[in-house]
Amino acid sequence: MEFVSPEGLRLDGRRPTEMRQLRAEIGNVAKADGSAVFEMGNTKVIAAVYGPREVQNKSQQMSDQALVRCEYSMANFSTGDRMRKPKGDRRSTEISLVIRQTMEACILTHLMPRSQIDIFVQVLQADGGTRSACINAATLALQDAGIPMRDIVTSCSAGYLNSTPLLDLNYVEDSAGGPDVTVGILPTLDKVTLLQMDAKLPTNTFEDVMQLAIEGCIAREYQAVGMPPGFMIDSHGKGIRSYNYVPDRYKVAKMQGLLNGNVYSNPTLVS
Amino acid sequence: MVGLSEGEQEFIKGGIAQDLRSDGRKRYTYRPIYVETGVIPQANGSARVRMGSTDVIASVKAELGRPSAMQPDKGKVAIFVDCSPTAEPTFEGRGGEELSAELSSALQHCLLGGKSGAGAGIDLSSLVVVEGKVCWDLYIDGLVISSDGNLLDALGAAIKAALSNTGIPSVHVAAEAASDEQPEVDISDEEFLQFDTSGVPVITTLTKVGKHYIVDATLEEESQMSSAVSISINRQGHICGMIKRGGVGLDPSVILDMISVANFVSRQLMDKLDSEIAAADADEDES
Amino acid sequence: MRNLQLSFNQTQKVRLEKALERLESLSSKSNPNSCVTVGDTIPVYEDGILKGHGTSDQKGELAATVCGVVERINKLIYVRALRARYKPETGDIVIGRVIEVVPKRWKLEINFTQDAILMLSSMNLPDGIQRRRTAVDELNMRSIFTENDLVCAEVRSSQGDGSLQLQARNQKYGKLERGQLLTVDPYLVKRRKQHFHHLEEYGIDLIIGCNGYIWIGDHAEARDKMVVDQGSNSEQPIAKCDKNSMDLDEQDGTYTPQEARENICRIANAIRVLSRLGFNITVEVILETVNLSNSLNLDIHDMLGSEFYVLVAESEAERRSLSKRKR
Repeated sequence: MEFVSPEGLRLDGRRPTEMRQLRAEIGNVAKADGSAVFEMGNTKVIAAVYGPREVQNKSQQMSDQALVRCEYSMANFSTGDRMRKPKGDRRSTEISLVIRQTMEACILTHLMPRSQIDIFVQVLQADGGTRSACINAATLALQDAGIPMRDIVTSCSAGYLNSTPLLDLNYVEDSAGGPDVTVGILPTLDKVTLLQMDAKLPTNTFEDVMQLAIEGCIAREYQAVGMPPGFMIDSHGKGIRSYNYVPDRYKVAKMQGLLNGNVYSNPTLVS
Repeated sequence: MVGLSEGEQEFIKGGIAQDLRSDGRKRYTYRPIYVETGVIPQANGSARVRMGSTDVIASVKAELGRPSAMQPDKGKVAIFVDCSPTAEPTFEGRGGEELSAELSSALQHCLLGGKSGAGAGIDLSSLVVVEGKVCWDLYIDGLVISSDGNLLDALGAAIKAALSNTGIPSVHVAAEAASDEQPEVDISDEEFLQFDTSGVPVITTLTKVGKHYIVDATLEEESQMSSAVSISINRQGHICGMIKRGGVGLDPSVILDMISVANFVSRQLMDKLDSEIAAADADEDES
Repeated sequence: MRNLQLSFNQTQKVRLEKALERLESLSSKSNPNSCVTVGDTIPVYEDGILKGHGTSDQKGELAATVCGVVERINKLIYVRALRARYKPETGDIVIGRVIEVVPKRWKLEINFTQDAILMLSSMNLPDGIQRRRTAVDELNMRSIFTENDLVCAEVRSSQGDGSLQLQARNQKYGKLERGQLLTVDPYLVKRRKQHFHHLEEYGIDLIIGCNGYIWIGDHAEARDKMVVDQGSNSEQPIAKCDKNSMDLDEQDGTYTPQEARENICRIANAIRVLSRLGFNITVEVILETVNLSNSLNLDIHDMLGSEFYVLVAESEAERRSLSKRKR
């Protein structure tokens, strides 16, 4: 099957290094300490954070750091074909673990000893790249909950089909059987915290694909709410090239709530 | 679960007795309702309904199937509800299963009628393509994202909104095949038939606290209930299903009174919901 | 401004945006650099600074670890987090819910990373005499506070391991009865001299806990009336019997009077509106909002409608611009 047309366009009309439209929203679950919805194209996930709070199961309490837990679940209607899987199948367990390890690495757990942080991620729609979407949503929710972190984590995936590295695979491209590299990075610290790949790939091609995924992550860091589609990344040269470049370093959290919340409750203004 | 001190419990009960609830509502006042349709583009129809902090999503997926031998002239509808742990940490793992099962079965009672499918709130005969051979199976999935009481009514409203948003592809049946063979069907990608939702009922839950009953109870108010009756009523004022929860027994005359109250309240809810659905559909068309 | 689930019409939207813009322009800290998100570097203008909460050293640069506002006090630089759990300080007045009664202490949920501890020895005894706590006192702990009770107390100290001790050595602390509890984001409550308010014209008590728990209830003379409590306890079993009987007969007389209830609900809704708009919760602003709703003759429940949100935002903008001009 042809995934990249001779004109260099993919099945959904994107260029190889173009990612899907991003959208994020904060504070959807009233009762949670922090929550966020993250969408990329048709993939849509919601994350809620509860805590830090008293450890529910005393035997798991740690005297020097916080306990981080994570559960990933998929809605029955999230996939194209309706499925009804029991909770806790192997795939969800594996993704829960990946999210937990990734988030645990960036949360400053030692600041909240003897407490527990729960991250719940619910996939509403799956169209490829759920892993990345979940990590991005969890990061936003943790920021919303005011939990101290070393750095934010951003995640993105890239693949290699028709001898072309492709950024941000959708479901059709993902199920084509090519390699799929999921990367999570800490953008300020410039460190990779998550790297997963299946299928085989020559080493030098892998370098290209991974580089693309990393730059996808960096670009995500530059994302804004409702940013117009057509955000482009140059896969070879360093830096970001786009016809809709967002000049300021905006992050979703900054865009919403937090900024406003500060302004209105500024102590110097209260008479 | 919510824990309330005795003083708070007294306060809630007193408020219901005095017809002034904690957030200023009267006994038969709903919280504001917001409807959004088409939230899950991959489904045939979907809607999100919010009532206060309660937030649910319902989606409808249609698949071609075979009608059961017992009812060759009817399609099949299945309703499942899932409680996401995002709503409540105790729903983690298998923690939400009991509530999910309770809500699923209550919705089936209220919307689908009995085993024979007779008297169902959803018109099952409109789902048949070729009698006895091909029909649509509707899978209705509900998901609780945030919970602050009155989940059943919210889910019922979300399902009604999702059904009104549902487009079922029109099907062309190939020339008559031999009677014992499955006919060939061709599903159109472009033509969609709107689902007729005029007969779909709304569900009204009356929660009895003390000697009074209230609509749209919050989680805190629900913790004080002695029993609750959920009644699904359609436009014509027919009761499509009913379910009673809670351990305390009810006097039959009280139930009859509750039904007349539900009849009155559900009419308002239905109007409100219909206008919200129309507004949501208009919004979706715009974007 | 999170979670504002309202449907505004076009004019309301424009008015709200205008009011919010005005608030923003009034802010002395509208300097965008003072707002940071996780991982942002904080500019440092001098040497020998002290790193405070919410900051960390990254590759020689100061970086934020939470989203919030950069505060600089002399050499100390810290990030004041918005929307987070409660950060206790000694002397804070907080409201908590009893989670567990364990030997010699109660465990209270106060929106902190752990449950706070209230020792029996940090409590005034029912008889008011200062003495050693005996085994009998320990056995009677549930007659003072039992599970799910709401308790008002003061932060005594926080230990190095993060655990938190409370004390209630004063008449004004103790159990809260009859009323409702609201929860708001703790950053909306500022520490002030007075957190207990007896609103005489409404006949109610308002306690604004530093942990974002706000109590609005019937006015009680002295809260710490343990002796009286035990007296009323003897009546409790009778009331319990009533509850168990199938047909519940209620005496309306035992409830909060209608007028007080109306006031409680009105104040509660005022706080709901303010907290959803992200405005500071102080008794003055609350009363102003209540008066606004009264002057408009608004029904209590209608206070949660979109129009009132816009009005509150507008009046807050007006109020702040006035107070700024005065200065």
